[in-house]
Amino acid sequence: MIEDAQLSTGVKSAPTDAHSAVRVETDDAGSGRWTNLTLQIVLVVLGIFVSFPVILAILTSFKVPTDIINYPPTLFPEVWTLENYETAWTSQPLARYFVNSVVQTGIIVLFQIVFSILAAYAFSILEFPGRDLFFYLILGSLMVPFQLTFIPNFILISELGWANTYAGLTVPFLASAFGVFMLRQFFLTLPRDLYEAAKIDGASSWTYLWRVVVPLSKGSISAFGIFAFLSAWNQYLWPLIITNEPEMRTLQIGIRFFLFDQERGADWGGIMAATVIALLPTLLIFLVAQRQLVKGIATTGLKG
Amino acid sequence: MSNSSIAGSDQSAAAEKRKRKIFAAAEGYLYLAPTLIVLTIFVFIPIITSFQISLTRVAPFGGRSINVGFENYTRLFTSPEYRDTVRITLLFALYTVPTGIFFSVALAILLSYPLKRLSWLHRLLIFMPIVISTAVTGVLFRWIYHPVVGYLNYILEFLPFIESGPNWLNDADVALISVSMAVVWRQLGFNTIIALAGIQNIDEVYYEAAKVDGASTYHRIRHIMLPLLTPTLFFLLIINVINSLQVFGEINILTSGSQATRTMLYSIYNRAFIGTPQVGQASAEAYLLFLLILVLSVVQFRFLGNKVNY
Repeated sequence: MIEDAQLSTGVKSAPTDAHSAVRVETDDAGSGRWTNLTLQIVLVVLGIFVSFPVILAILTSFKVPTDIINYPPTLFPEVWTLENYETAWTSQPLARYFVNSVVQTGIIVLFQIVFSILAAYAFSILEFPGRDLFFYLILGSLMVPFQLTFIPNFILISELGWANTYAGLTVPFLASAFGVFMLRQFFLTLPRDLYEAAKIDGASSWTYLWRVVVPLSKGSISAFGIFAFLSAWNQYLWPLIITNEPEMRTLQIGIRFFLFDQERGADWGGIMAATVIALLPTLLIFLVAQRQLVKGIATTGLKG
Repeated sequence: MSNSSIAGSDQSAAAEKRKRKIFAAAEGYLYLAPTLIVLTIFVFIPIITSFQISLTRVAPFGGRSINVGFENYTRLFTSPEYRDTVRITLLFALYTVPTGIFFSVALAILLSYPLKRLSWLHRLLIFMPIVISTAVTGVLFRWIYHPVVGYLNYILEFLPFIESGPNWLNDADVALISVSMAVVWRQLGFNTIIALAGIQNIDEVYYEAAKVDGASTYHRIRHIMLPLLTPTLFFLLIINVINSLQVFGEINILTSGSQATRTMLYSIYNRAFIGTPQVGQASAEAYLLFLLILVLSVVQFRFLGNKVNY
């Protein structure tokens, strides 16, 4: 199960699991402790190194302008200020971008969850001719890269008059083969007897899905929801080509134009504040749901 | 009379059963319909239409598209410009894939050590890039590489043999490397998770045996772990090559697709959306890229396929 610490591929997130090539001999406690300490230091240094760009961006977003161009540069702000957030928020329609991103992501996530639940249910519990064929067809769609489909899709959406609309931003992404796959894998683990029993009690397939399957699968569904959220929120190429009116830009596209506008004025504080605003929702999700994310990636080898 | 009534109920039971079967089938298709319709319109049909588009060219006047056969493809094979994008794409894969795998496996080996404390913190810091978008990566590195306020050149100036750091993004000799470093960073969390899963999948029996033999840590990593990790390394190789072919956001923000960083995908985008649109030519390039990615994906999805039937 998703909320379970133990992954089906064998990844164990419990830190006490002794399972490593660099494991220290327990009968040599003294040197073991030194290895432990060295490793702790090495890992903290590497960890800070990896997350340094993000840490730096957050700290800089709280600096006053003179602080940012100071030479030599300092790590922490000398004076903490919210000024950058104010300028970022008011000098650009950042609030509008934020709303656009929320609406676009919300629509995509909602539809992907519902559509994936329905299809996964058909593929795991219902029986009908051609079931496996359709499943492999949907799985096969994962092999078609966006790089091939984005030109015809751009032409289609433009002809429909959906450029610069929420429909244009979202409709091509309402279904998710990844979601169908992920949820089907979980639905298959539900005992078959449960379904038979519900049938005998006179429950329809529809009732069984929403009353039994969905409540039992909350963990998997929310794990998929997290992946769907991240990939929708972080989209870049599609929103870039399908919007050319500034008021329809998403945050990701907004920070790009903000950067290009502000770079000449060297307002790095404002740029970093805008970046942090674009980054913050995903960072919060990471802090809350790190385990589900790691498990999902480790078991499927996909990012969503 | 009783006989015929039994036969009648038999018949109606069979009819009832058949009806239920048809209903069940119809029900199944209804559940599938939303996903199937969306994927058909936006994934399956475009496989065909983009091929059709790739056989056309927009006539110079009037904007009507005319059929030109395989001209868009044959032109690519003789175009030095296209050969350049292929070369840059391969170089880009060469810069990002081995480095990405090396760092992620090294980090995964360290993370696999069963520490009693702070293990959560290490994972938190190292896995973090998995949620970072391509746009944010682009903006962050544009700042880090900045010739005046960038931290990278500031740090480099401390090194004794460097007078001043390179112009990371505008110098054609280093621009591709600069983009590569940003992409390696964004992929690092994802790669490390896959590598760690692979390491922790290795049966502990092998380590026990090595321990009994008195093997050193180096020996255990080099001669036991890495060979057993081959399937994971192979999987990492495939997905990282695929990812390197799909990078767009970082290039767009860091260099705006300057000549030195114009990969196959970026060239498609340029042709279709920048300047005079050459949609037919762009689609021909997209089709070649698709075939390349498809071959790699088939290999990748054998991994996923193994999980389908458990």
